[in-house]
Amino acid sequence: MKEESKLSLEARRAFLGKLGLAATCTGAALGVGALGTIQTATAKSEPAASGARSGTAAEGGSFPTPDYDWTQHQWAFGVDATKCIGCLRCVEACKLENNVPRNAHQFRTWVERYVYLDGEQSARIDSQQDPVNIEASGSEKEFRFANRYKDAKVDKAFFVPKLCNHCTHPACVQVCPTGATYRTKDGVVLIDHEYCIGCRYCVQACPYGARYFDEERGVSDKCTWCYHRITKGLQPACVEVCPVGARVFGDTRDKQSPISLFIRNNRVQVLRPESGNAPNVFYVGIDKEVN
Amino acid sequence: MDPIIAVAPYTGWVYPNETVFEWSVLIAVYPYLTGLVAGAFTVSSLYQVFGFERLKPVAHLALLTSLCFMIFVPTPLLLHLGHPERAFNSTITPHLTSAMAAFGFFASFYVALLILEGWFAYRPFIVAQAQKRTDLLGRFYRLLTLGSYDLSEHSMRYDRKWIFALAVIGIPAAHGLHGYVGFMYGSLKSREWWASDLMPVIFLFSAIISGVALLVVLYVASCKLRKIPVDAACVKGLAYTIWAFIMVAIVLEALAFANLVYKGREGVDMIMQYVTGPLLVPYFVLQFGIGAITPFLLLSYMIWRGTAGKALVVGVTICAVLVLFSVFMMRWNVVIGGQEISKTGKGLLSYQMPLFGKEGALVAITLTLAPLALLYALTRLFPPWADKAKLTDAGSH
Amino acid sequence: MPKHIFRLLCLILGFVVVALIAMPLLTVDSFYRFGHYRADSVPEIAAQEPVYQTARYCLTCHTPRVAQWSANSHKTVTCEVCHGPAQGHPANGKLPIPKDAVKLCTLCHEAMPGRPHTQPQIEVAQHNAYTSSGLQCTSCHNPHSPKMATALVTVAGNAAAGKQRAESCASCHGTEGISPNDTWPNLAGQNAAYLARILAAYKSGDQQDVAMTPLANELSNADIQNLAAYYAGLSCKASSGGKPPGDAAAGKTLAKNCAGCHGDTGIGSNPAWPNLAAQKPGYLVNVLKAFRAGLRKDPMMAGVSRGLSDTDIENLAAYYATQSCQRPTQERKAP
Repeated sequence: MKEESKLSLEARRAFLGKLGLAATCTGAALGVGALGTIQTATAKSEPAASGARSGTAAEGGSFPTPDYDWTQHQWAFGVDATKCIGCLRCVEACKLENNVPRNAHQFRTWVERYVYLDGEQSARIDSQQDPVNIEASGSEKEFRFANRYKDAKVDKAFFVPKLCNHCTHPACVQVCPTGATYRTKDGVVLIDHEYCIGCRYCVQACPYGARYFDEERGVSDKCTWCYHRITKGLQPACVEVCPVGARVFGDTRDKQSPISLFIRNNRVQVLRPESGNAPNVFYVGIDKEVN
Repeated sequence: MDPIIAVAPYTGWVYPNETVFEWSVLIAVYPYLTGLVAGAFTVSSLYQVFGFERLKPVAHLALLTSLCFMIFVPTPLLLHLGHPERAFNSTITPHLTSAMAAFGFFASFYVALLILEGWFAYRPFIVAQAQKRTDLLGRFYRLLTLGSYDLSEHSMRYDRKWIFALAVIGIPAAHGLHGYVGFMYGSLKSREWWASDLMPVIFLFSAIISGVALLVVLYVASCKLRKIPVDAACVKGLAYTIWAFIMVAIVLEALAFANLVYKGREGVDMIMQYVTGPLLVPYFVLQFGIGAITPFLLLSYMIWRGTAGKALVVGVTICAVLVLFSVFMMRWNVVIGGQEISKTGKGLLSYQMPLFGKEGALVAITLTLAPLALLYALTRLFPPWADKAKLTDAGSH
Repeated sequence: MPKHIFRLLCLILGFVVVALIAMPLLTVDSFYRFGHYRADSVPEIAAQEPVYQTARYCLTCHTPRVAQWSANSHKTVTCEVCHGPAQGHPANGKLPIPKDAVKLCTLCHEAMPGRPHTQPQIEVAQHNAYTSSGLQCTSCHNPHSPKMATALVTVAGNAAAGKQRAESCASCHGTEGISPNDTWPNLAGQNAAYLARILAAYKSGDQQDVAMTPLANELSNADIQNLAAYYAGLSCKASSGGKPPGDAAAGKTLAKNCAGCHGDTGIGSNPAWPNLAAQKPGYLVNVLKAFRAGLRKDPMMAGVSRGLSDTDIENLAAYYATQSCQRPTQERKAP
């Protein structure tokens, strides 16, 4: 027993010595690492400290581009469903402008048709993914509404364009586990395609079905209000091509912008207000069944 | 070019983007696995913390089972992600408003906890193996000893305290690990089928019964394989546990459904149409009828009649299998069922599960069964059998 | 404390420290700058190049076309809707000109329940002379100025006053509205709305003719109305003077494309457009060539005459010249 304890005592001491050496080395490494971290952390937080207040780059220029300062704008969108003719040029333009997968099942924007037939209480609703419409257009790459009700007794019918509502309290941003989707200072909800892990929780969380998963890129995607266009003074592609002015876009900070006038001059409403998301797409002329 | 996406057929009106199912069967497997982890750990803790002595034969098997399933828990998620190489983004920059961001932390913490508790429990065995073996495995055990062969009473007292502390911490940790999954669904505004305050609790209680049921099956199977008699008292203890928790689980699920129907919010018509149509068999017949009510009645009968011996073991095993099936159906009905009801409240979709492919049925089955293979290997490395090796327990409780 | 506990605690502590240090080190640049996201992604997204260029882009090179387009009802339909996005144009070559006009135009203009009534819509199968045998919308409608001058001009002139005023027109157009030679057109029985419109165009300068312009400048608006009413009420006669050069049978085939506005035999449905039946062939040849050259201005006629060869023009003229000017079923309405 004593022999054993003596041996184990020596073994213990030897081990403790080795452990001590290891601890010192580790401590030194950790210390250096900690210093480096503090430096990096402060470097990273510096722009935030000065920039967070004004949202501008540390160098003093405007963000995100030299010609566009996001603190000077607050974007919003309007849809006049009384004007929409269901031509689907907006759907086409969006797909071409934003490299959206060319199929009939993944959209950044789409148009819904509501038809009340004589004698029916609820609307018949269809959109671009309906096989009848796909057939009418000829392929999944082209878009057209089939004139399926032209021989029917239609009581009431209308078209409703839909797109991401860029909510002020977006459910999608709330549930993103990484911070890949976010709301910019100018009111646009964007997705960072370099950071998204493709879990699709945001797709589930959106009450409006505005999001989809891009299988090829492995990330979630949605309408960005053509952020790359609006930061250059252009309109979103769908607004640009709409031949009847059913889509309206602009800066709510500018009292004379198309959207400010649209909101002021009309009784506007939003989709699913009870969700608490506070959407920023304002509708005129939708109906009881539109959600 | 072949279409990359699989388009789901639908009836009624659904949003165009909904025709592609985002969460596949793998996302139903994931909560199933974490549920088994939480449930198995509950069995271990019932013994270590609550002093259910009769569960001693399964206590360490439960711990190992929990660990094996925990190791496989991230696999369905990694296979599902569009960018699995970026998976750590949610751990490095966790968005704290997202329940899913909790995953990285809960999972890592829980794996560490399980390994730790196992280590403490197996330390005497590890030390013995380290001293006895001279082969590569011996090196492995020696590494695990952390250089200490101290098995004195002084040390063992520490070990027992640690096991107790870990078992105690482990209970809320397990609840967190599985509860956040329920919260992920219950907190969403977009789907009426998911949005329920009760969702985390429902997930938890069904998780517990699934884990206990798994232990029943594993224990009985292991006894048969090792050709030793089944400890009927242990099985009865497990049966009591299932019986107690399944009552709560049934009540909670029934409550959630009743609330949904009673409140009758927008979209409830479609839910009723769905539940009495495509979901009738999976929900009422399979999940509830065969998977929950039947085992509950059978267990009640056996408890009332004081069934013992072989009849008890057979009966409880049958119940356990039914419960395991029912809990998987519950995960399926929530995850897949929720997506089959359109967000419009005016349409239904139909999930077509592929057989092959990254997120197909074969992969799902493999991921569910693979932990058992790992468990088999681990039981060779770390035998949990009470009659075979002396393992440390929490002791004072 | 037993040494295995101590070592375990060291391990745990080490792991925690490493994790705490690793987290900020592994965090990507610019994260947390403005919020819980990677700030650099905003300029990355903003830097994408626009694909659609807007009509202002087309204006720099296609000025007259854009001017024409912006003066008519399609000014709300930007160029790129029909021609596709202009990114890379002209470096990558021409933009497509849509071939199947029916397929494209009916996207907006097919009568469909749900379209607001402010949208011009047609029942495709019943639209004027359209049949499914290949007649395209662009046969009559210039897509850059699709809205045709329609018969909104109501003629309420006095035929008797017109007769008086018409004495000075007789030297070219004949005393009965039948021209003495092949060059100047018959006016007898011509649509009053057309006559009023074309005289007004000569007067305003929208249309220019060496002979007609000074003459029309001397006419008052009332004169124009009266003249139109007078000539419209005159009886037309089959053209005299033998068989005109040109193949009338070939012309008949070509005339199918003109039937939408001018009718199968040159008697059209819309009074804003001239009847061609029994018109002087020489005049028809001259005027078609003038349309083709852009000397006589009409956006629609410019489009349809662009593809006509000289032979085609002669054949068409021969065909129409040999048609009966009598409107078969309709009675002549006296103004």
